[in-house]
Amino acid sequence: MVFKSHSLALLALVLASLLINAVAEPVTIKLTFEPDLKNGQRIYEICASCHLPEGWGNNDGAYPQIAGQHQNVLIQQLLDIRSGQRENPTMYPFVQERTIGGYQSLADVVAYISTLPMHPQHSAGPWRDYSDEYKAGEVLYKQKCASCHGNRGEGNNDTSTPKLYGQHYPYIKRQINLVKSGQRIVNSLMQAVVQKLTDEQLKQVINYISYLPVPEEERAPSLNWRNTDFY
Amino acid sequence: MTKKINRRTFLQSSAALATATISGQGYAQSTSGESPVIGGKFSSPAPIPAKKGPRVVIVGGGWSGLTMAKYLKKTNPKFDVVLLDKNQQFVSCPISNVWMADQVNLDFLTHSYVEAAQNNDYLFLNATALELDRTSKILVTTLGSIKYDYLVVAPGIDYDYNRIGVDNPEDEYALRMNYPAGFSSASEIMAIKHKLHNFKGGTLVLTVPSGNYRCIAAPYERACMAAAIFKKHNIRGKILLLDMNSDIRIKAEGFKKAFAEYYGNIIQYEPSAEINGVRVVDKEIETDFDSYQFDDAVIYPPVRASSIIEEFGLSDESSLQKEAAIDPFKYHLVDDESVYVTGDSRSQPFSKSGNTAHSEARYVAEVISAHADGKQIEWRSPQTMCFSGVRIDPLESMSIIAFYKYDEAEKSFAFDRSHLMDKWNERAGQAGLAWAEGMYRDMFYS
Repeated sequence: MVFKSHSLALLALVLASLLINAVAEPVTIKLTFEPDLKNGQRIYEICASCHLPEGWGNNDGAYPQIAGQHQNVLIQQLLDIRSGQRENPTMYPFVQERTIGGYQSLADVVAYISTLPMHPQHSAGPWRDYSDEYKAGEVLYKQKCASCHGNRGEGNNDTSTPKLYGQHYPYIKRQINLVKSGQRIVNSLMQAVVQKLTDEQLKQVINYISYLPVPEEERAPSLNWRNTDFY
Repeated sequence: MTKKINRRTFLQSSAALATATISGQGYAQSTSGESPVIGGKFSSPAPIPAKKGPRVVIVGGGWSGLTMAKYLKKTNPKFDVVLLDKNQQFVSCPISNVWMADQVNLDFLTHSYVEAAQNNDYLFLNATALELDRTSKILVTTLGSIKYDYLVVAPGIDYDYNRIGVDNPEDEYALRMNYPAGFSSASEIMAIKHKLHNFKGGTLVLTVPSGNYRCIAAPYERACMAAAIFKKHNIRGKILLLDMNSDIRIKAEGFKKAFAEYYGNIIQYEPSAEINGVRVVDKEIETDFDSYQFDDAVIYPPVRASSIIEEFGLSDESSLQKEAAIDPFKYHLVDDESVYVTGDSRSQPFSKSGNTAHSEARYVAEVISAHADGKQIEWRSPQTMCFSGVRIDPLESMSIIAFYKYDEAEKSFAFDRSHLMDKWNERAGQAGLAWAEGMYRDMFYS
């Protein structure tokens, strides 16, 4: 595997607590870590016991595709699950400092995951590209999603916006349902978009997303490809 | 077993009580207006609030029932969910082997049904299920009867001592008490822990059953943990691991390597040991070819679905382990879409483990929820995930994760993707404990 290395900026919000009745202003600390991919690989072994060495997730959506996701998106999820902001009871103990380690370890492991090639045949929605539903989803995607997630669904590492191409259709569907029912908290813009669309429109747009092509250089060559770091 | 006598006694006394208590009780299920009738006898309603939505009653608060109760409420908040268990608190069977070797304390394994029910907005009843009337949709329990809209039966396993040639109640009882298997109750695992720590030397026999027994890796892990205890406390004992199978069933290379590298002078592994009798008084196990003397033993016989499955008339006659006759994808009885069987009493050949039951219950909760809405959902595979302790202080483990797929040609389930990590290390030891903690967190505290 080719290791590429980006420095990873981490924003930590610290609430300074003052005595008596003073109003405490939030203090934002920006920390930057130089990821160590070798250590990231070692730490990923903990993750691999559920996410498997390839990080491809499941076609039925029980696990997401994490391989190749932007590192800032991944670290945001780890921090949100660690704090309980994103509810995931079964993953919670794995991302605590006592199991996975401190910020440096988080930086190392997300950098490693972002280098993994993606599933060559992730699961797609029910409507192929000649259908009316597909086309309706395309129109909605371009109106409502593309400005943040990009025309190709490429996301944006700098703004921690998830890459959408390659994600399993049932996983996106489940997450969107959680957002819609208020069980998963996301930023207010995303929240508003999801609330405005009908269930039918959401299904169409998720269907369209599931057909966004994964660039060849980010895809594993075949379904039989195995992450030799772990075999 | 005294269950039948208890039930008869209960029904007689409850029939006598019924006339006195059934009228004027706030607990009566007033919406239906019917009096629960079982076999022509009345029984008083269970002491729980009147239902506030479609009532789902779950028999058994193990990994399947606890997960089912939580996710039924989460998927469909209108459901009125009642979880039944005969125990007052939950003691985890997964991780109990490493608890025997003092790698976690009893608090780690022990959790409260009261907290689970409060945190997840369902009702808990500390009662045993006695009788099922599917025509009237009534379950009779030791605390009274409950009318259900859906019933989930998740009672787990019972031991099948017949399959090791023990066929009289005296010998079976002696085995249960003297050489408990440790896969169905907290009392059993406590007795085994004391047995291991207080072993006076000589030969300790551990057995591995045949068939689809609960937790495939656990008997081999237990051999490692027992040997580690002997080493740590300088107990001069030999462990004779009698396996009814022709080879180690899972993580075979890893276990063989561990037996040889760390416990070579303690563990003696004997495959293909078809046990056909145990002479309790002589402390002797008989196999097809040999007989083995022991000083003490932990005898794990083959398992079957909980006897309640058979007593309620839900079992598949052709099933060797008397498992339930259910639809393999939707889990309801073949002839009754209001009754479901999940967990280790299921008929599918999935591994009988906590993680399998947990992931399966999350799916079946969605199946039942969809059924109530007149919908259907796509089948999802359960996930079998299993960590096995190999060394202690610090704990070092191996792991495996596996998914299933349905083979149309074979008309049965087979393993789909799986990943084995059989190079044990401390990180996997930590991961195994984090896994358990996450599961307890999901079932009890979030």
